[in-house]
Amino acid sequence: MTLLLGALTIGLILSLLAMGVFISFRIFEMPDITTDGSITLGAAVTAVLLVNGTNPFLATAAGAAGGAVAGAITGVLHTKFKINSLLAGILVMTALYSVNLHVMGRSNVPLMQARTLGSHAEDFGRRLLGTDTVHFLGWPVTASDAALLVFALLAAVVSGVALYLFFRTHVGTAMRATGDNAQMIRALGGNVEGYIVLGLALSNALVALSGSLLAQYQGFADAQMGIGMIVWGLASVIIGEALTGARSLGLTIVGAIMGSILFRLLVAIALRWGLDPNDLKLITAVFVFAALVLPGLIGKLKRKSAFSGPAPR
Amino acid sequence: MLELTGIRKTFNPGTVNEVRALQGVDLTIDEGSFVIVLGMNGSGKSTLLNAVAGSFFVDEGTIRLAGHDVTRWPEHRRARLIGRVFQNPFSGTAPSMSIAENFALATRRGRARGLGWALSGSLMKPLRERIASLRMGLEDRLDNAIGSLSGGQRQALTLLMATWLKPHLLLLDEHTAALDPKSADQVITLTNEVVQRDRLTTLMVTHSMQQAVSLGDRIIMMNRGQVLHDFRGAEKKRLRPEDLIDRFNEVRAREQLDEGAAEMLRANYI
Repeated sequence: MTLLLGALTIGLILSLLAMGVFISFRIFEMPDITTDGSITLGAAVTAVLLVNGTNPFLATAAGAAGGAVAGAITGVLHTKFKINSLLAGILVMTALYSVNLHVMGRSNVPLMQARTLGSHAEDFGRRLLGTDTVHFLGWPVTASDAALLVFALLAAVVSGVALYLFFRTHVGTAMRATGDNAQMIRALGGNVEGYIVLGLALSNALVALSGSLLAQYQGFADAQMGIGMIVWGLASVIIGEALTGARSLGLTIVGAIMGSILFRLLVAIALRWGLDPNDLKLITAVFVFAALVLPGLIGKLKRKSAFSGPAPR
Repeated sequence: MLELTGIRKTFNPGTVNEVRALQGVDLTIDEGSFVIVLGMNGSGKSTLLNAVAGSFFVDEGTIRLAGHDVTRWPEHRRARLIGRVFQNPFSGTAPSMSIAENFALATRRGRARGLGWALSGSLMKPLRERIASLRMGLEDRLDNAIGSLSGGQRQALTLLMATWLKPHLLLLDEHTAALDPKSADQVITLTNEVVQRDRLTTLMVTHSMQQAVSLGDRIIMMNRGQVLHDFRGAEKKRLRPEDLIDRFNEVRAREQLDEGAAEMLRANYI
């Protein structure tokens, strides 16, 4: 049960990552590898501030702001200096590796003693429930685990709703149109370059927020924690689209959240069954490859069989 | 209204692909006039429209529009003054977004886009009425993705979007060339209605001689990046398609003569 709760909580925290990747990958059609650096940046900034006794809410907001700056830099490299979007992301990600080490001062910052959002949530949960363990469907659950899960759910829902509302405003609608048809939005007076910078800032702010919450949940920030995170985000977005379809904005965002949870659950189950954790990233990459290629391949096979099959009537 | 002075533009200068697309265009267009731009392929007519729209900066010359010197304004800033419909029906609309959302974008052409709700209630009623006036049955499909519509429908909607806020200048770049004849007729009728109703200053590129004589109050014929003929007033009204075709043949004959002469010079002197 603890395993399941943990997987759900991490899945919800990483759904912010999935929403960030959704913005760069689905709205702007550019896989933004800055993600790998900004999730660590969010964790590092928050961890260092917490160790120094900063208010956890402020520390978390500062982590997200760090991600926004990183994303904006990628956006400027891509739009103003005309660097290929993938390369712009690689440059910023590489630079962030050094930045993160500088921020943390070493490669790992533990948060055991610090007051985090997690410890606030745990206290709140214990006080609210008045006991240390509750029973959920007959399973004993510690109050702090339950509180963390509820808090992560709250974070995911609030972020998802805020993102949905933003994308229905004038500026959010113009941002979506930028990825859909840049020529059109330019002809309607939209500053395409500005929207890309803003969008990548927003995307990486969400990613860094996810990193910040993850560090507070797992109790440490680590310089290596971002490696391959873009692929995790892609996997979540793709699973989400399989679950809810990509027909409408709201469904896609809900899908990204669900995809992140489901993906994390699958990982937890696979690890439980004895999957070597070292193989995790390889399997994730193969999964994303398959998810990107299979739909086209299946379509081709179907068409082929339709042609070779007996003529109708 | 629109004032072009000494416009020059060369693409890929100094390379084998050098194209001198505009070679000194002077043109003044009065407020409320509807100007048809004709010319053969490569004559520079689309380049002229793109230069006005700001798709690129011109090498020389100035562009004044509605009292502003817009020569160095980026494209998105000029959009405040200019409405555009492109040749490709897919260029003017965002395919995966709904009809209503596309129009919500058009209602902010050239204005600040804040955090206001895009599909506000006050937009929906006039939107439904305007789209119903197209008589295409689209007013009940405002939530459908615009990519599911035909080229003719999309071009008609793009025209409504470009003129939702009255533009100081409307640019139409062969906007019926990619449509089937029936859709093209519909879009041309709509164009005429919209332009007449709002007395829009319009610059329209076309290949159709029929459209050229039946629409507008002035015809400009371009050749080799310059304005070759300029018909207006009574002269424009008297023009028949055959007259225009004659002018084209003249140009063509002269071009062939030019090439023949160049060939002869090369053969004799090089």
